[in-house]
Amino acid sequence: MGRISRRSFIERTGAIAAATSLPDLELRGAAGRGNLQPADPVARTSIRLRVNGDTHVLDVETRWTLAEVLRDQLGLTGTKIGCDRGECGACTVRVDGTTVYACSQLAIWADGQDVETVEGLADGGHADQMSPLQQRFVEHDGPQCGFCTSGQLMSASALLDDTPHPTRDQVREGMVGNICRCSNYNRYVEAVLDSTSPDVSSPRALTSIGTPTPRVDAVERVSGQARYTGDVQLPDMLFARVLRSPHPHARIRRLDTRSAERLPGVRAVISRDTCDVIWTSGDSRNDRFLFNNPVRFVGDAVAAVAAVDRHTAEEALKAIVVDYELLEFVLDPEAALQPDAVEIQPGGNLSANGRGLHEPEVYERGDLEAGFAASDVVLENDFTSKHINNAQLEPRVSVARWDGDQLTVWAPTQGIANTRRDLARDLSLPLESVRVVCEYMGGGFGNKNQCQDSDLIAAVLARNTDTAVKLEYTRKEDFLGVHGRWPTRQYYRVGATRDGLLQAIDLRGYSGLGPHRKSSGGIAGIELFRCPNVRRVVHPTYTNMTVSANFRGPAYPQGVWGIESMMDEMAHALEVDPVAFHRLNASRLYMDETPYTSWALPECIERGAEIIDWTSRWRRAGTRTGPVRRGIGMATGAFSARTGRSSARLRLDGDGRLWVHVGVTDIGTAAKTTMALLAAEAMQMRLDQVTVVWGDTERCPYSVGESGSRTTVQTGDALLAAAADLTRQLAERGPPQGDAVLEAEATTNPRIEGMARYACAAHYAEVELDMGTGHVRVARYVAVHDSGRILNPMTAASQVKGGVTMGIGMALHEELLYDRATGIPVNPGYYGARVMTHLDTPEIEVHFIEPEDAYGPYGAKPVGEPPMIPVVAAIGNAIFNATGRRFTELPISRDRILEALA
Amino acid sequence: MKRFTHVSPDSLATATVALNEPGATPVGGGSDLLGMIKDDLTAPDHLVRLTQLPGLDTIAPQPDDGVQIGGMITLTGLSRHPVIRERYTALAEAAGSVGTPQIRNAGTLAGNITQRPWCWYFRQGFPCYKHGGSRCFSRTGENQFNAILGGGPSYIVHPSDTAVALVALDAQVHVVGDGGDRWLPIREFFVLPSDDVSRENVLARGDIVTQLALPPQPGTRSAYTKVTDREAWTHAVVSAAVALVVEDGVCRRAGIALGGVAPIPWRVTRVEQLLIGQRLTPELAAAASRAAVESARPLSRNRYKIPLVTETLRRTLLSLL
Repeated sequence: MGRISRRSFIERTGAIAAATSLPDLELRGAAGRGNLQPADPVARTSIRLRVNGDTHVLDVETRWTLAEVLRDQLGLTGTKIGCDRGECGACTVRVDGTTVYACSQLAIWADGQDVETVEGLADGGHADQMSPLQQRFVEHDGPQCGFCTSGQLMSASALLDDTPHPTRDQVREGMVGNICRCSNYNRYVEAVLDSTSPDVSSPRALTSIGTPTPRVDAVERVSGQARYTGDVQLPDMLFARVLRSPHPHARIRRLDTRSAERLPGVRAVISRDTCDVIWTSGDSRNDRFLFNNPVRFVGDAVAAVAAVDRHTAEEALKAIVVDYELLEFVLDPEAALQPDAVEIQPGGNLSANGRGLHEPEVYERGDLEAGFAASDVVLENDFTSKHINNAQLEPRVSVARWDGDQLTVWAPTQGIANTRRDLARDLSLPLESVRVVCEYMGGGFGNKNQCQDSDLIAAVLARNTDTAVKLEYTRKEDFLGVHGRWPTRQYYRVGATRDGLLQAIDLRGYSGLGPHRKSSGGIAGIELFRCPNVRRVVHPTYTNMTVSANFRGPAYPQGVWGIESMMDEMAHALEVDPVAFHRLNASRLYMDETPYTSWALPECIERGAEIIDWTSRWRRAGTRTGPVRRGIGMATGAFSARTGRSSARLRLDGDGRLWVHVGVTDIGTAAKTTMALLAAEAMQMRLDQVTVVWGDTERCPYSVGESGSRTTVQTGDALLAAAADLTRQLAERGPPQGDAVLEAEATTNPRIEGMARYACAAHYAEVELDMGTGHVRVARYVAVHDSGRILNPMTAASQVKGGVTMGIGMALHEELLYDRATGIPVNPGYYGARVMTHLDTPEIEVHFIEPEDAYGPYGAKPVGEPPMIPVVAAIGNAIFNATGRRFTELPISRDRILEALA
Repeated sequence: MKRFTHVSPDSLATATVALNEPGATPVGGGSDLLGMIKDDLTAPDHLVRLTQLPGLDTIAPQPDDGVQIGGMITLTGLSRHPVIRERYTALAEAAGSVGTPQIRNAGTLAGNITQRPWCWYFRQGFPCYKHGGSRCFSRTGENQFNAILGGGPSYIVHPSDTAVALVALDAQVHVVGDGGDRWLPIREFFVLPSDDVSRENVLARGDIVTQLALPPQPGTRSAYTKVTDREAWTHAVVSAAVALVVEDGVCRRAGIALGGVAPIPWRVTRVEQLLIGQRLTPELAAAASRAAVESARPLSRNRYKIPLVTETLRRTLLSLL
């Protein structure tokens, strides 16, 4: 049997002190109340619901929401819960015809009413029975991760009943109550507009790469049939909840869980006292336990409860008494490096580098001071970017079940193989004893890369109770308890000659990791420019903010904003236009030394300039007048397209069906579709002869995690190698007959000698800034990408549109704000983050340059992360062009704009 | 969510009795209340749903050309009603600017004007004045969305859009409670924190907002402008509701209120006085708008609201010229 806790129990001795020493700072709801008396069983009310035409008589608790009842009692899991607060729209259903948030309605309020859910839009979710609207959602690539799609459909159907022929703006207004964090708003609007045209065609059957192809699993995603982790229901399953620290830094003097344990329906309570499992992927430098003492950020896990239902589990959290001794805290990375700063991790607040030394990460080439001496113009500025959350629509949830010594975990993960490896290591189990399943996954953008603590906590609780356990995070927990983008402070000094050639770049940067090293904390972007003399010194630093780690293009969007702002300023100082400046200074060799396998950045720059009509639209910054000022800006980006190890298995059966086993989960990028296209192309088969098997470590070979935009390149390479083997076998043995199967599995890890492999992009933004109100409207946005060969132009363009939209949100809206006096974040959630909506999203124009590249499947390079990288810089440069003002703190929000213009 | 009992009374009398139970709280559309219960910001034992009360979800034009609006009308119903759109445009626009279609479909007018603050600190459960504490954390904290007028000791801003329009339109509020019923001008409905920091309005336990009455306003044109920091689904950073009677270019009557600037919908009588009897010109609109913020006292991070509300009011005035 796997050992779960190295200390299986503790002796409970003595009386436990009640409450904490500083009640004035106790947040409502966040802290223990203690001594909750066991309550009577909750009374139920009988209601009659008509759902999608069927009548159901149900006994419900008063407090159950309509969303809960639809999902948990009726099994209609097409209705999703993304925030449970009416802030995201994933739970949208129609009640007596009008749309409501089912999370914000009590089920008893729907008594006697007609409820329509996504499952009611079509019969059985089969393609031939889908509504025209669903059909258009498929054809226009509506769903990326698909988690918001049901809600989008319900809003669209209500809109079309009300306004059968809406304008584009009416569609956006009608659907504004539905967030899509993949930000596929352009596609949803196209689909709705197109659904009103009379002829409805059947899905096109396409066969090969390079042709726009709807997702192979789009029907499941638009019909509510796609099963996400939160939709998994197991017999007798318990529900778990986590108690979290309300303090940014505190030592737990005593923790009393006895009242919680006595509550009827509570099956297990675990804390650091009873569980010392180390969550290794939560921190690469320090021991990070599932429950830590001291707690080091608001949201740090303190204890977890498993109970018969989620409400009982929540009640039990309130019965846990925690006595905290408050410690000093520090939020800002530079302040955390001051000698008198409180030590957050042993060894100091500067995180140790790869050699175990508490020193900054340093990169140098050339002679910096000689470079500045040779410069005619030297500019200095500094930039501050903020912590923002990935905010994927699907909150973290884990389901764990033990069958003897075999553990199965259903998890919304970007990597089933990573998660399996992490679970086995952290629970001291053999790899073979762990199975990880992720059928559908509702987005992650980097914060579902690794095994999450929730996977481990669910596994421990399931073992302790001998029952399956589902652990759900609330939206607030997902904002505070997982991770977001690391905040940075970047000090630049840049020198160039009068004829416009860069001579020196000096970057001193600080990144706030939160109290754990979960990713690099790097600041990337200087590699976009050629320059003989460069120094980059980055200090990844522990703070008492929430943890920071990977978020789409991890080190780039903030770093590129800094360096491309400096380049924009340099161009301005030299009185050349930024495109001309980029022509002179854009990278030609990686880090000025290594050739690229392919590199169409110059073409991207030229094509974008041409499309947006740069020559006639660009004017020198600060020369515009009038109440609404237009401005145009550009920036570039790059992202590693490295090859690496992954595996794939192909099976060709006697019916002529090709089974493609790949360990992907498809995080919204259309990885399954890409894999099917590659297999069809390589085997010269039709797409409908190919079936992808994914998302289950039992059925799929190891695949690289879907992070770093590596799936197409790395798993695609393995798939092509397997296809080559299968083709050889076919030639030798002929097609399999009857029950016979031809099978080929390949693991590849191609090396690229002496060259660097990168995707790249040039973005152009045109903004209108209302000088009276500080309002910024993105009037036009052109994104030109070199992602090598584009395997599926439809889904690739969706990725770019989504990345750009997310970047606009980072530029203009998003920031996790902290109260400086208490160290408590004040605006977690979609409302607080001001996540982009339908109405905030412009039409994004997407173009691809497709250079030949000898590596990757058919020369494909990454698509997922590059689109977010240049956006903040392009928007910031456009605002500079409009106003002559350089904004050096994100987000460039209305308050900052008006303060600057005052 | 904590456990609670629930009734859905079918008469005002039974509703009033139910609301006088300890721990009872009224609920309309419920969107905000359920979120607050889930976040442990309020802990009612007993919900009294008011949406089933007869006659509270109608809009009744009156013989004198005024209109009476039931408190349980949905915001969608209000924003789309032809009489409201035509005669009380600012109210229709304000109702249509709330949240999203889903929120407007569920949310009621009475619920909208009585919603609790959306100050970050209140919503995160800080032990502030509004939670019975003895501090306002926004005063020295993250106060970019807090009050520049009428603040102290709490610096919340009133979150309702419709309330701002109702103040500009001189609405009357009908309240039914334990001790009978009463009409009061909406200007007397809202309560400044300096008068009573624990509440946002005059409602006592058991009181129900049953009707809102808008007086006849012949010749009045009105508009509501809401400035938000994303295009929808958020509260006003600042807003302005303006109702004017303009005859031959001369302003005869003016009702003006601002949102997002004060703990209550902020009527700017001084601006109204500057306009009445004067020829409405762009210059006057600009000067009057500046007067609206003469007494503003910004906090550390919300000085920008002064030019913003000035400009918003100026543009709203000009839109009615």
